[in-house]
Amino acid sequence: MSHSLNEIEAMSKRAARGAGLAWGLAEEAAKGTRWLSAFSFPGTEMLAGLLALNDRLPAVDFSPATLTGRWSAPAGRMSPLIAGAAMSDCAIRMEAGQVIEMENVSFPLLVVPFAGGAALRLGVPVSVSWEGVKLTTDGQRLCVQGARDAILTMHATQLSCAAPAAMTGQSEPVMRADVDEAAWAKLGEFAHRTYAPATESSRLLGAGSGLSDND
Amino acid sequence: MTEVSCRDPNLVMRLARLGSIHQSRLSFMRILTRRMAREGWRFEQTAFEINDQGVGHAVYTAHGPERAYSLIAYAHDLPAEKRSDRVIAEAWDATFTLFDGIPTGADIERLSQNIPVQEAGRVKGTELSVSRANRSVRLWEHVVSKLAAGEQPDAAQIDAVGYLMRTTAVYGSGKLGAADREMIADRPEFRVPFQVEMLSVYLTRWFVRDLVQYMADTRAKALGASAAKLDPDLARSMGIGNSTGLGMAPFLLNHPVLFSNWVQVRETALQRVRGVASATADEIAVFNDIFARNKQSVANWHSEHPVQLEKLAALQADVDLISAKLEDEGLAQSSPWESLYQWSTQSLTVEGQEWLVSLMLEPYGDLVDDLADEMSADNTATFRIAGAMTVARLREVLQDVYGWALKTDWSLAANKARAWYVSEEKLEPRLGERFEEPIEEYEQPLAPGRDATQLFAALAHWPEETPVAEFLLRHPEHRHSVRRAQIANRAPYAEIRDNTISEDVLPIDMLRCKLAFFGAMHFDPRSDRWVRICMYGNAPYPEELSTRDGDFWVYPDAQSVAKEG
Repeated sequence: MSHSLNEIEAMSKRAARGAGLAWGLAEEAAKGTRWLSAFSFPGTEMLAGLLALNDRLPAVDFSPATLTGRWSAPAGRMSPLIAGAAMSDCAIRMEAGQVIEMENVSFPLLVVPFAGGAALRLGVPVSVSWEGVKLTTDGQRLCVQGARDAILTMHATQLSCAAPAAMTGQSEPVMRADVDEAAWAKLGEFAHRTYAPATESSRLLGAGSGLSDND
Repeated sequence: MTEVSCRDPNLVMRLARLGSIHQSRLSFMRILTRRMAREGWRFEQTAFEINDQGVGHAVYTAHGPERAYSLIAYAHDLPAEKRSDRVIAEAWDATFTLFDGIPTGADIERLSQNIPVQEAGRVKGTELSVSRANRSVRLWEHVVSKLAAGEQPDAAQIDAVGYLMRTTAVYGSGKLGAADREMIADRPEFRVPFQVEMLSVYLTRWFVRDLVQYMADTRAKALGASAAKLDPDLARSMGIGNSTGLGMAPFLLNHPVLFSNWVQVRETALQRVRGVASATADEIAVFNDIFARNKQSVANWHSEHPVQLEKLAALQADVDLISAKLEDEGLAQSSPWESLYQWSTQSLTVEGQEWLVSLMLEPYGDLVDDLADEMSADNTATFRIAGAMTVARLREVLQDVYGWALKTDWSLAANKARAWYVSEEKLEPRLGERFEEPIEEYEQPLAPGRDATQLFAALAHWPEETPVAEFLLRHPEHRHSVRRAQIANRAPYAEIRDNTISEDVLPIDMLRCKLAFFGAMHFDPRSDRWVRICMYGNAPYPEELSTRDGDFWVYPDAQSVAKEG
């Protein structure tokens, strides 16, 4: 079904929060999923897969242990949202020519939107590469190199982010996205955890005026 | 010019002041009507297929310079027990969508399956908004029965309510599958925020006038008589109501850059007018005329809510003080507006001060109207965190933006008595009692002051030169607050500098603030978290836009002011 990008962002934020991410990371997850969807990638499927994989587990287990050297996570797999956010936060290092390298990243495509953010900050394109794949973005457009299966992989053993990178054969974002129904339903389940159950008193006290609208 | 700076965010961004803002010439409604009048928009009703029970659809098309937009209205026969203005309602008196272009029969049929059920339906990128409205039962029946009896409705009864229908939600920006704002934001007519929603409501008012006349005609015909035609002046005095709850409060907190731009524009307009060295005779005449008419508007403002009654009484006293001041001393020869503004800060309540601020902008369209183009926001540039910022610098920013919060004792229950949450019932935003209801685990991040204080405490033992990126790796729970602080550091009016979860917070302050930027008038709180307002009261109808004033209509007796050039 065709969805607006705002719907995708709103659902993704709630779902990420429902799966236990801190609000700030849920916001990143939402912007990233929207960004990928705008480039016709199955962002919602990737996010649903990631949230199911790390559902309510401690973020620290999937975070880079340190931001020096090659980044790796204690649990042996790294969250692309936490690592991607850290990469964007450290974007300035790439300006100095440093390549940010990571090990064992889950759903590596979810790192790419953060490269978009980093590219906007640096003012030069940033590339994200893993086995057989290279995606380069200046924040507005995206160049895709690699087979679709490899791009959508659930796990990358090695991943590197570098700037400046060259943009060739770029694609422009679109304004609508076709969303996989199963992934959407899965995100909806996670999102539902953030909604307070309906109670009579909350219905009465929590919102309205308590007065009749038939006046 | 007099050297004047913009007002301090620590003064402006308090809830009591934000909750005292009034519409101005930079409100979204007036920006829209000025544009439509200036560009000579053309309007037509292209369908009105409504049966004797008042059920059916109608289509109203607005033709701008380059594009057309159509309001598709569906009219329903709503049983009284289903009439609720809350988000949790499932049926309404009328439902609407603003269509991008001119709909085909197939579009109208497709939308007839989706628009009447609102959130339970789906729309596409050709739809720009989805909205609904309920009748004011009393006034609707009064107007229909009077007209059907061949008489005009009673002006006093119309004044007491102000509208025949009130919208209870106007969704845009991609809701329910509609077009994202990004799809249309580059069109000149939609560059200013909320122009889609304001156009939809403007056309809705036209439909409602037609529908009430049609229902009166139908009732009269059944009795073998013919109804009176609603007097144009009475019709014009009616606006469209809006009934709104907590959804608008999270909006202001969730769109800090956009909100900052709105306030920045208003503050910049005030700064420019305060800087005027001397006022011309024409400018003074416009000010005096609008002042007199705005006094009338205050007199027409009704509410039964104790908080609003108190504010209204204070405003009326302030208006008298301004009258006396102007009569006794007139406007100063030199820097008249700065002089008047400075006097107001010493002499008037906050409500009166903000009323005067909006009023002072009125003679200065040439000086301030260009600011409207700066009211929208592109969030991408401000969303990213600057990870290289040092812990020391972040602390400074927090002390500057959240100084009030760092001085608040958050261990006191009274200072965090409330929690914002989303109910599973149609995702209605609600505000609950943290210590009395099982809601804390569902709390939304809508208490920036408390959260910034926690961030400040977490930073206490970190070395000054550490980059924020390192801190956030260990403390992802503060990522949200770090982002807000960095945004507020660049956008001075981004953050409400007040407690949004205290036991005495009035959510209606936030609702009113947003509604005032829309251009709403006659705020009438129904509780501390619910407000009714009126939009487009006294506005020219589409067929009158070329002959009546497209700008100063908000003030009663709009024809007495010379039209803008």
